[in-house]
Amino acid sequence: MNELTFYPLLSLLIAIPLGGAFLCVLSRRSSGLCRWLALLSSGAVLVLAGSLFRLPDQTGWLLREDYAWIDTLGARFTLGLDGVSLLMVLLTALLIVMAVLVSWRTISEKTALYFSLLLALEAGLMGVFLALDLFLFYICWEIMLIPAVILIVVWGEEGSLPAVFKFIFFTIGGSLLMLLSIISLYYLHGEQTGVFSFSLEALRLTKLSGSLELWIYLGFLLAFAVKIPLVPLHIWLPDTYCKAPTAITLLLSGVLAKTGIYGLYRFAFQLCPEAAAKSFAWLSIVALVTVFYAAWTAFGQSDIKRLLAYSSVSHLGFIVFGLSVSNRTAMEGSFLQMFSHGITMGAFFALTAMIEERIGDTRMERLGGLWGRAPLWSFFFLVVALSSLGLPGLNNFVGEILILAGAFQSLPWLGAVAVPSILLAALYILRLVRHVLWGVSPAGLIWTDVGRREIFILVPFLILMVWVGCWPQTFLDPLQQVAGLPFFEGAVALKGGVLP
Amino acid sequence: MRPEFISLIPLLPLGGALINILFGGRLSRRVSTGLAVVSVALAAFMVVAFWSYAAGGGTRVELYTWIEASGLRVPLVLLFDSLSASMALMVTGVSTLIHIYCLGYMSREKDYVRFFVLLNLFVFAMLVIVLAGDLLVLFLGWEGVGFCSYALIGFWYREGRNADAGQKAFVMTRAADVFLLIAMLWLFRIFGTFSIPDIMARTELIPAAAATPLVLLLLAGACGKSAQFPFMSWLPDAMAGPTPVSALIHAATMVTAGVYLLCRLFPLVMLSAQGMAAIALVGILTAGYAALCALAQDEIKRVLAYSTMSQVGYMFVALGAGTLSGAMFHLYTHAFFKSLLFLGAGCIVLLGGENNIFRMDRAARRNPLVFGTFLVGSLALAGAPLTSGFFSKDGILTTVFSRGSGLYELVWVLGSLTAFVTALYTFRLLYLVFGGKEKTRGEIPTLSFSMAVVLPFLAVAALFGGVINLPAIFGGNETLRHFLEGPDVIQGFVAHREEIILTALAVAVFAIGWLAAYGLFRRESALRDNMASRFFRSGFYIDQLLETLFQRPFRTLARFWDRATERQLFDGFFSGLGNMTFGGAKIVRRMQTGRLSTYLGSFAWGLLFLASFFLCCALGG
Repeated sequence: MNELTFYPLLSLLIAIPLGGAFLCVLSRRSSGLCRWLALLSSGAVLVLAGSLFRLPDQTGWLLREDYAWIDTLGARFTLGLDGVSLLMVLLTALLIVMAVLVSWRTISEKTALYFSLLLALEAGLMGVFLALDLFLFYICWEIMLIPAVILIVVWGEEGSLPAVFKFIFFTIGGSLLMLLSIISLYYLHGEQTGVFSFSLEALRLTKLSGSLELWIYLGFLLAFAVKIPLVPLHIWLPDTYCKAPTAITLLLSGVLAKTGIYGLYRFAFQLCPEAAAKSFAWLSIVALVTVFYAAWTAFGQSDIKRLLAYSSVSHLGFIVFGLSVSNRTAMEGSFLQMFSHGITMGAFFALTAMIEERIGDTRMERLGGLWGRAPLWSFFFLVVALSSLGLPGLNNFVGEILILAGAFQSLPWLGAVAVPSILLAALYILRLVRHVLWGVSPAGLIWTDVGRREIFILVPFLILMVWVGCWPQTFLDPLQQVAGLPFFEGAVALKGGVLP
Repeated sequence: MRPEFISLIPLLPLGGALINILFGGRLSRRVSTGLAVVSVALAAFMVVAFWSYAAGGGTRVELYTWIEASGLRVPLVLLFDSLSASMALMVTGVSTLIHIYCLGYMSREKDYVRFFVLLNLFVFAMLVIVLAGDLLVLFLGWEGVGFCSYALIGFWYREGRNADAGQKAFVMTRAADVFLLIAMLWLFRIFGTFSIPDIMARTELIPAAAATPLVLLLLAGACGKSAQFPFMSWLPDAMAGPTPVSALIHAATMVTAGVYLLCRLFPLVMLSAQGMAAIALVGILTAGYAALCALAQDEIKRVLAYSTMSQVGYMFVALGAGTLSGAMFHLYTHAFFKSLLFLGAGCIVLLGGENNIFRMDRAARRNPLVFGTFLVGSLALAGAPLTSGFFSKDGILTTVFSRGSGLYELVWVLGSLTAFVTALYTFRLLYLVFGGKEKTRGEIPTLSFSMAVVLPFLAVAALFGGVINLPAIFGGNETLRHFLEGPDVIQGFVAHREEIILTALAVAVFAIGWLAAYGLFRRESALRDNMASRFFRSGFYIDQLLETLFQRPFRTLARFWDRATERQLFDGFFSGLGNMTFGGAKIVRRMQTGRLSTYLGSFAWGLLFLASFFLCCALGG
């Protein structure tokens, strides 16, 4: 474990987008310059994130940074990168670049503000995925919300305020519960040891009585379950996804939802392992209900964005399912699936943005027979659809099969119950494809095939889908040693948990 | 040659597809289509070139580690043994002929690049199923052929009906895949690996109680792809695709994948007597059902589709009776005569201008090549003595008879009855297509060379294909059986005299079927429209049943979730919360400046305030 690397690479992951945001605000006169600044800084983050790709050491960490910060509180600026956060950082960096490219033409008002907020969001996201200090984590968690809300309200569709209100209500509600849990932990730990600290590694050693641990765990769990979201906490999601500008929907589904799952694993499970292990029985059932309910509801949708919103929820439920069946294989599958899901949903919403750019609308009845109009666009759409329904050889299959194999290993009945989800996914995805690509176009549909910028957006997605589908080892190898997993397994096994 | 090059067999068609995906639009038509044909033909050549590697236990080739996580490793491994090599030879051989046929058949199609890409991709995926040495790799091909089938059935996508048929095929086979996947996960739980040879070598590890459910799950999975009861109703609709596609995918190769799967896992299947009885039962029920349905169809391709379903049913019967080589023998002969029939049907429809056998022009009978080859295919299907279909079907029925027990006796009776119905519907088709009056329709199109040239090859195979497994009473030595099951298989299920009687009986069944058809269908309009024929034509109203039982409730509930639970319950709950706070909101109305910045500002301050409040509490404590 290298406590301090020579270059503060991880801090740079947060600093570059912040700097970019600042520069965007400075150059607000020229919207063209802002776009390029945003693309450059997000591109720089992507390059930096890619360069961090390496295999972890025994402890699971790839990189760590630790600086003094607020001494009076015992809060430190601690960042750490392990296999899971590496995948999340990569995904965030990639999808932000894509979001910038997707909004290249569609955003014409207040361009500087838009792109600086986008970059501020990236900084917040990076902080969430890297922070190992709960104070820092909480700050980043909230910082991430503010740009998201402003982006939806200002650039979203008309009438987005009620949707945003719901979004804020649920998210803040969840966050406050988490804050309570953090404070209680901080306080209890301080009382027990005399050292007041927000460090994850210190706080997870706090001795907690069973019921207290459960309450603290629930605080975390609710905050994260809202963000993911799990049914029935998903009420905020369909409207928010539909009203937000599509580039933001791309991020909401591709990255922001992952912060919930990431938090669940990194903080809730680590801090309250015993309560977590106890919760697995019903958490896996809630996750399965989410998978089936959301997929079934997706089948009944007539708007592409809404259908994809439910599809995203269904797939996210599957990832939570993988985390909660107490099996190592399934857990690694879930980590990979977090990345895969981001790729697929990112590509799907990028394609949706292209629909919106052309006809200003995403209702399915406005579309049809696009294969004849725009074969290239349709080709990408078909591949992404196939990836989403879990065709082997493309990205989603690998994660799904790992989750299913692991789940079946520990809980055969539950694993078997989860399998029909592949049928439901096929049902709503094929219905979508049928309405968009096949048949005849409705009268008056004007459609041009993808341009150079759009190909530049779609090709990386395609490459990654095939890459993860055929050579997933690149992304699975960093997950073989995940920081905190041995601790979690140890803590659970020690207390008579259920991990095999 | 290094054994690793066996991987070229599936990779060649894949390469052809990839080149056409990337550059197909820029290449000339001749180069692009030629590439598709040559890549498949080369794959066929490779199978022959590597034939010696199949001897003994076969050759295992590991290419690379596909997926590795803790507790699970899936190598991309190919298994080239007698079963997979012979199947690969059939697949590549028939595919090559059909690809050549397509050059002519699709010569007017503008979208030929997409067609040949999908066709090549299909051959790749099918070869992956055949050569897979690992269940997950097999599943890769399994789903791959499912997608190609979907895309090719709906190839003419502008017609909504075609796209719907493709979708139906995908969804129904996926429903069956759920069972297959559960079986695979279960095997993984028992063995800790997906490797087929490893699992087959240690089948004794399977708990006795698990064997039957496992076989039943595998059977359900196989039934999806092979269009057996209860997953069969997608196959007749799949005829919406171009005819060569029906010949390749929905007759010769993909629909037999289920049979192949059960053959691949045969040591496991044999663990459960109940499971095998279920396989035989499903097979014979589907065979009989489909034969009856074929009797009343009025489209030439639908007759052939039901007949495919019926013949695949015979293959299941063979597996249920315990003869792997019997199933594979019928699989090969069926591939020859059925693809011949489909390709012939393509020509007949082209010449007759119509798919409907009552309305089509009988122009095809003036084309001796089409007439002759179609006749050969039909005879083989009907089980005319000494054709390939005769030997393979008779072999299956003889084996079933030799099993003796009550259930198998019933299966044998039903199987013989079905053989009679098969002869009946085959000759009905022949009489209706080639008999009757010829309507003059002006100019009759000519067949292109590439379409005509493949028919004789398949006709020879359909006629003389029996020699690959000629039984002893005809002077053969069951070559295929020895090749597939090894040299020391148990000889002779039945006594010599019984075998002769059974063979004579099969000849008699064929003859009676022919005579009955001659009496019934010589004249048009026989069995045209009454309640029974409507019942048979609609496939026993299975589609309507599925619609009422599954599709409609599913759609209704989907709408219910969306309208009732999502919008009423959840949103209603939320707006109820909103109304409750509305009273309070009146008081703070003055704070509503309507400016977003104010809201967001106070929002941020509030957060900060809350955070510091809790911090103070904590510090104070």
